[in-house]
Amino acid sequence: MFRKTFKTSGILICFLLLIPTQAWLTSEESLHRIWAVKDCRILTLAGPLIEKGTVVIRNGLIEAAGTNVPIPADAEIIDGAKLTAYPGFVDSLGSSLLKMPEEKFDPAKVYSGDFSDKDKGLTPEVKAFDFVNLGKATIEKYHTFGITAAQVLPDKGILTGQASLFSLGNPDKNKALLLKDNMLGLGFSAANFMVYPNSLMGVIAYLRQAFSDAAYYDLKRLRWQKEKKGLERPDYSGQLEILADYQAAKKPVIFLCRNQHDIRRALSLAEELKLDFFIGDLGSEASLVIPELKKAKARVLCTVAFKAPATSFHSQQGKDARDKAEKEIYPKNPAKLAEAGIPFAFSSLGTDDPKSFIEGVQKAVEAGLPHEKAIEALAKTPASFFGLDKALGTIETGKIANLVLATGDPLAKDVKVKYVFADGQKFELKEAKAKDGEKPAVNISGKWELSVEGGIKLTVDFMQQDAALSGKMTTPFGVFDFTGGTVSGKEIYFEMTISVGGQEIDLYFSASVEGDTMRGSVVQGTQGSAEFTGKRIP
Amino acid sequence: MKSRTFIFLLAGLLALANLAPAQASAPMSPKNLLLKNGNIITVSGGTIEGGDILIQGKKIAKVGKSLPAGPDVEVIDLKGKWVMPGIIDSHSHIAVEGSVNEMGDLITAEVNIKDVINPEDINIYYALTGGVTTIHTMHGSANPIGGRGIVLKLRWGGSAKDLIFEGAPTTSKWALGENPKQSNFSGPGRARYPKTRMGVEAAIRKEFEEAKDYMRGWDDYNRKVKDSQASKGKKPLPVPPRKDLRLEAVSDILRGKDWVRCHGYQSEEMLSIMRLCKEYGVKLVCFEHGLEGYRITNELVQYGVAVSTFADFWAYKWEAYQTLPHAAALMAKRGVIVAIGSDDAERMRHLFNDAAKTLRFGGLTELEALKTLTINPAIILGIDKFSGTIDIGKDADLAIFNRHPLDPYTVCQMTLVDGKIYFDRAKYLDDMKKAEEEKKKKEEEAKKAKEKKNGAED
Repeated sequence: MFRKTFKTSGILICFLLLIPTQAWLTSEESLHRIWAVKDCRILTLAGPLIEKGTVVIRNGLIEAAGTNVPIPADAEIIDGAKLTAYPGFVDSLGSSLLKMPEEKFDPAKVYSGDFSDKDKGLTPEVKAFDFVNLGKATIEKYHTFGITAAQVLPDKGILTGQASLFSLGNPDKNKALLLKDNMLGLGFSAANFMVYPNSLMGVIAYLRQAFSDAAYYDLKRLRWQKEKKGLERPDYSGQLEILADYQAAKKPVIFLCRNQHDIRRALSLAEELKLDFFIGDLGSEASLVIPELKKAKARVLCTVAFKAPATSFHSQQGKDARDKAEKEIYPKNPAKLAEAGIPFAFSSLGTDDPKSFIEGVQKAVEAGLPHEKAIEALAKTPASFFGLDKALGTIETGKIANLVLATGDPLAKDVKVKYVFADGQKFELKEAKAKDGEKPAVNISGKWELSVEGGIKLTVDFMQQDAALSGKMTTPFGVFDFTGGTVSGKEIYFEMTISVGGQEIDLYFSASVEGDTMRGSVVQGTQGSAEFTGKRIP
Repeated sequence: MKSRTFIFLLAGLLALANLAPAQASAPMSPKNLLLKNGNIITVSGGTIEGGDILIQGKKIAKVGKSLPAGPDVEVIDLKGKWVMPGIIDSHSHIAVEGSVNEMGDLITAEVNIKDVINPEDINIYYALTGGVTTIHTMHGSANPIGGRGIVLKLRWGGSAKDLIFEGAPTTSKWALGENPKQSNFSGPGRARYPKTRMGVEAAIRKEFEEAKDYMRGWDDYNRKVKDSQASKGKKPLPVPPRKDLRLEAVSDILRGKDWVRCHGYQSEEMLSIMRLCKEYGVKLVCFEHGLEGYRITNELVQYGVAVSTFADFWAYKWEAYQTLPHAAALMAKRGVIVAIGSDDAERMRHLFNDAAKTLRFGGLTELEALKTLTINPAIILGIDKFSGTIDIGKDADLAIFNRHPLDPYTVCQMTLVDGKIYFDRAKYLDDMKKAEEEKKKKEEEAKKAKEKKNGAED
């Protein structure tokens, strides 16, 4: 961990050269870990709404929350007037925080038939913990939408891999970890080439055999450990060793269900194989299986991408019918689950980023999901799903200080998150962004040279279309693209990720433009900033 | 022809959109129904002209003439129409999600179509439009032993479980010849054993021997458990053998539990596999396609194996050359139980046309021809006590036509499954018309709105 922090800083030195060291030490890294947020509206989720109260945070935990809470003398005070405090949101199932090593598929395998278990999608040993990528900028991106915890799962193949749950308070995964290898993903996607299983029915038969083998492995192993004499020693199998941990409902599996039929398949497999399970409702069709889900007391992690599965009757009728269903029918899925009393939390699988995840939840609310149920599914329900209801999900004394301070209702479209506490670390969200709505008063399309404090020269090729800004930047570390920037008035803002020595660094640029020059600053996460000036290259 | 039918059906999809979800969300409990004044082809006991069928719940309660309606009975007048038992397609591959072949291994007896039923497959509805009420949907023919099939009732709108034909025996799909030896498979891939017809049979035999060993292993274990219990712990409790679901499935075949459906074209390999099945006591029920079956009718009858074939579909590969359009009739006349199957979602919609061809080629009687779509496949599937004829106590699965079902110009008008109307052509056409009018109205409104807007701008 120390090495990594040092390395990050080192890169920053390369990049921003002359900034004095202490400038990077923002509040987030500070040793002072006691805060009191006073006069805020508190949505505790543990009791009635508190119109005006105080939350005290000490050493990563919530020390107190309520109306008559005294402010400790040693606390740094945050004025929470006009702000609403609510428990940090949880993305209960996602894969976008994973960074898997890129591997090229060798086409010669198709001829030789030498497929690996990975080609077949049989990778229970792949652990989210090993491949998670929590950059500072990434964490902040989640914070912007009030998300402070995320369960990450490798989601490809049949035995997809094992999940981990992270509290997004620290880019160091060892510190961020809440639960490791807590669930196993089971997918219904067969390989396309001549290996077993390469059909859906083969996948199901495979799962039956695999869990049967795991139970058998466990039995033989335990018998041998107990008796040793007179028994043949069982062979070791890495995969069965893992599956053995999940058979007999020892730990939960997540079925990644692409449609309502997969859900029914999952329910009958879970019953047959006696598995503790979650339903990953990737096709937003859990609401078509409500009686069965109820009977099985199933817990659902439903996506908010609202894409109609290919099997769906709507999809079979062409694009128009499918689009209509995706707009009008599929977003009602969470509302129907809530109405039927099926416990559910939200999954970001199928959405692109935290922004579209929260927008999806907003869509579900528009489609009839009661607001309080949506908040519950983002905080309290996941906490109980993960067996962490004593530590997460509400604003209560003794819980992990994962909470958000925003300008209004957590799911309102225009809400702005001001502060996020994740594991008791304070993150202040800077409004580097140019103000929305103002019409662009400049057009900066074309080549510019930026001179960053410390002597670094960057060449940028901007492309501006109305208020939208994208482009390409040439740096000493390579050429990188960016999109999603904005121009408003004479202000510009854009973000980009550059890769330096294999490590990804998020950079935020903001500047004001005057004719053929600009002046502004570049921020690396919350670690520090440097001024720059720019001029147009004729 | 095929593409025209498809376009016609596509045009109707808009109307279907209104139909299907309503069925899915509100399955009505079947009322008592009286079908009046129809020409009823019972298949079991002649044709009743101007006859009635009383349906109570899901079953046929009465068949006869001038049956009283009684209270709480919905009456449908079928004057001039023809009623036959719902068509049973004993060879189908529709309503399956994912591949119908598990190609990864040679023998995959453990895979089961029951696990991958897709009740939303639109072909289920299309089959209903052709009077089909029951299908046997199966694993493909890529493997010597492919996997288990399932008999479905076309209760369109229901879940996978709702579609399953309760009481039908489990089946196991096998295949001989070109497909399992992969002669017709192009593209890259590992050359999988076998490459000859000999190899196909040897592969099955080898698997049988393994399964027998497997069963012996478990018998041995169970005996040792008993011994250990009897010795009150003096003899140690044995470690059980590994449960192998593939060999379990093959064991079920050897125990005669699964009814074997064997895809094959050539008479020699059919004879050969009959010998193998006899040797191992396997319940070989039916040859699929069996285009050369007319050459070995005595052997087929002697063994008691049926043939599910085509009316006039052949020469699509060399093992399908040595046949003639008279094959089905020749086999039927010699006492082989013959069914005409579809193997195809499109052919499934006009199986009655295919059955009619046996009148022209081979001279079957109307009754014999209709049996190939009704009671014969019912016998092959082991569901003849539930369906296949119009008789009191059987399931009310019926197909209603505007002309005799074997008339070349006949069109299926209505299809009932379990006494419930799942397809009604008049209603379907009406809905389609309404949907089209609705669409036109919307388009015109949009056009007007646009014109108005343009006018305002002028």
